[in-house]
Amino acid sequence: MIRVHPLVPAALAAVLSVSSAQAAAVVGQPAPDFSAPDTTGATRSLSAYKGKFVVLEWVNFECPFVGKHYGSGHMQKLQKDYTGKGVVWLSVNSSTAGSQGYYASDKVNALMKQKGAAPTAYLLDTAGTIGRAYGAKTTPHMFIVDPKGTLIYAGGIDDTPSTDQADIATAKNFVSTALDEALAGKPVTTASSQAYGCSVKY
Amino acid sequence: MAVAAWAVAASAGAAPSVSRHVQVELVPEVESIRPGQPFNVGLLLRMDPEWHTYWKNPGDSGLPTRLTWTLPEGFQAGPIAWPLPGTFTQGPVTSYGYAKEVLLAVAITPPPSIAAGTSVTLAARADWLECRDVCLPGRRDLSLVLPVKSETPRPSAQWAPTFAAARARVPQPATGWTFEAQENAGRIVLDMHPPRTQPAIRRAYFFAERGGVIDHAATQAFSHVVASYRLEMMPAPNAARLRALEGVLLTDGAGGPKAVRVDVKTKEKP
Repeated sequence: MIRVHPLVPAALAAVLSVSSAQAAAVVGQPAPDFSAPDTTGATRSLSAYKGKFVVLEWVNFECPFVGKHYGSGHMQKLQKDYTGKGVVWLSVNSSTAGSQGYYASDKVNALMKQKGAAPTAYLLDTAGTIGRAYGAKTTPHMFIVDPKGTLIYAGGIDDTPSTDQADIATAKNFVSTALDEALAGKPVTTASSQAYGCSVKY
Repeated sequence: MAVAAWAVAASAGAAPSVSRHVQVELVPEVESIRPGQPFNVGLLLRMDPEWHTYWKNPGDSGLPTRLTWTLPEGFQAGPIAWPLPGTFTQGPVTSYGYAKEVLLAVAITPPPSIAAGTSVTLAARADWLECRDVCLPGRRDLSLVLPVKSETPRPSAQWAPTFAAARARVPQPATGWTFEAQENAGRIVLDMHPPRTQPAIRRAYFFAERGGVIDHAATQAFSHVVASYRLEMMPAPNAARLRALEGVLLTDGAGGPKAVRVDVKTKEKP
């Protein structure tokens, strides 16, 4: 449940007590390993994908920012384009059980089929362990891991914070740009950005 | 500064097309306008209980409220005068915004050429994101008609008090203060030297006005030596090296709560 601080002066104490020993994945450092169930019942570990590029996409189908990128077919196209090039694409849902965007596997699979979503797998991070390890704040929030297991991108999907599908055409997509550069053996020019979206429902 | 005096009862509004939990209205501070003389209008957002909208930096999630103006020829709209926001925390996610009610005031400058005895229509599209634990986008086309008169504009009996209350919540220039900012050992350090007239400060919090600078969710450590104060903040994950610190400093202590603007370039390392 959300905690609201109704501002000063009492809220100053509350503001000051907002604590966080929050880890966050750091670009250029080894990406935190994880192991989590997917919606087929299989267990997926980051370390199993050594030798491949891996995209992590934080998702919540009820969030209007996610709706922007799925309603337009944009996210599905990225998933198909890059898994077609050998990239592993893991959608991760860190919604705690009972919160918005949390569904059991059968419902997720039905929704993915209906949307034409095509990630390699959809991970159920119900405890929020992966989300907290990476510092995932929003849906979407995007991360890219290189074949050596190093984080090479962390941030937003593009440079235009909005819920409007019409903005996708003119936005600069950080994820496809980073993947294109990395797949061509080039350094990633924009390796981090401010993610935008709904809060992850931890 | 009467920062705490703004709580106004929220009222449930008519539902626009997308939004369901925020009522919006474009309101004037004056009954009429005068050629060439700036005046204020504002977007009044009234949130249902538990719902909020966002500050210019929404923090870890959300979107700032936006106004896109369509004005008669020669009219100029200024930036939004953002009142001090509050914080909303959900697990490791901290966002900045407003609950209950907020007035986002904008100064409009009309050209000197408009004729008294006519009227003008000011139109704006408002875009916002409203969230509780879940979020909905809101958009509404709004307009306001004001008469043009040669006499000095009278304050709006209905809205002038709302503007005065909102103005009291807008952070003030930090007159008499000096600030120093630096990045040191993985911390962003803001040293604050208030004017001598400033009563003792016991607590402080810094709202960065852009994302990707400080870690919004991390604790800010406050300390002081006599009348010099320090805030230590964690940088945002994967942030570029700090060049400037811009935002709002909220302090509290013997003088009560006070919010001032901070705009300081980082000290170059020797």
